[in-house]
Amino acid sequence: MSTATPTPTRSSADLDEFQAFIDGGGMVEAGDEMPEAYRTEVFRFIEFHANSELMGGLTERDWIPKAPGLRLKQIFLAKTQDEIGHAHLLYMVAADMGMKSRREMIEDLFAGKSRFHNVFHYQAVTWADQIAVAFLVDAAAFASQRAVFAECTYGPYKRVLKRIVAEEGFHMRHGEEMLLRLAKGTPIQHAMFQEALERWWWPAVQLFGPDSDPNDPLLAWKIKSKPNEELRHAYVQKYVPLLHSYGFEIPDRELRYDDDAQAWLTSEIDWEPLKATMRNGGPDSRRRIENAAANWADTAWVREAMDASAMNSAS
Amino acid sequence: MKTFEVFLKKAGREEFRHVGAMQAPDPEMGLMLARESYCRRAEGADMWLVERSNIIEADPAVLAPNADKPHRHNDGERIAEHRRSTREADQ
Repeated sequence: MSTATPTPTRSSADLDEFQAFIDGGGMVEAGDEMPEAYRTEVFRFIEFHANSELMGGLTERDWIPKAPGLRLKQIFLAKTQDEIGHAHLLYMVAADMGMKSRREMIEDLFAGKSRFHNVFHYQAVTWADQIAVAFLVDAAAFASQRAVFAECTYGPYKRVLKRIVAEEGFHMRHGEEMLLRLAKGTPIQHAMFQEALERWWWPAVQLFGPDSDPNDPLLAWKIKSKPNEELRHAYVQKYVPLLHSYGFEIPDRELRYDDDAQAWLTSEIDWEPLKATMRNGGPDSRRRIENAAANWADTAWVREAMDASAMNSAS
Repeated sequence: MKTFEVFLKKAGREEFRHVGAMQAPDPEMGLMLARESYCRRAEGADMWLVERSNIIEADPAVLAPNADKPHRHNDGERIAEHRRSTREADQ
């Protein structure tokens, strides 16, 4: 006879019972009991993700009129719709955790009280910048989302991530195809992407964040399946040779292939730029937030019309 | 605002599956937003929206297994034992 306590079959508000439930492969649903710390941390994580999709979608939108040619305009329209759609789904999942309503999250974001991905705190200066965003930044975000999807113990988030990851797959292929056109284009186009790469390489690498604290509760609760440094390392291993193969140079003089480690090693990463973006003090933070807030104000009439219509149909 | 739960059914597959939720002021807007949020790439051939307040949820305790009713299952072990012994007797 085994004397071990059986694995709990339901989520619990007690931290130890909860950990045993998670370690036994448990999945948490919106109405379940859960430790307050789990609710708070997972909510923050999803809110951050939702904000990033919304801010990213608004960046894509800026390039619809400027994208060269009808096909690229259609692609940017579809991408914009996907990103805003992801924000919708994620705000719904976050709101169901009972910490803040969807409107409160959006208003906090536009008041500069919330955080979103570092990469959306920089300005995309040229068309090549936007391709660097589509190719490098989306890929980094994709890698980090896929690592969350892999285990993700919060059921509603995992199900929404499945859809998001599938759609990001289309974006990745669009991104690389656009890169291919510049890489094989005129010397001016090639140089244009090289310049963009110099602006976007580090923000993309920094997106993964500094090395994870081994005691990060999000790792123990299996929201994150891998520590930040592991994801960052894998990203560098994939994108350094890929960018080289397209004839571009990585803006890191100390970058080298280490034969012992059998890996590409970057120079030491300066985390100050990332920290600045987390205080909404990045190079383009203010303009981006103001722009998004103005968009929210400009579309107030749609929300008001919908509320009025709901009142009429209720009466 | 109302909250709607969204269900999709793929063509040729049997069951509707829950895919997520959606807020909308009324069913008409709900259908439009759910279509744009959950079904942009033909993820379903049919879609249901159910207002969340209409869902009746069971108490998990009621659904817990009845450990005192083994007669509701049959693991086939007695038959298997009989067949094993018959096979051995034949050899």
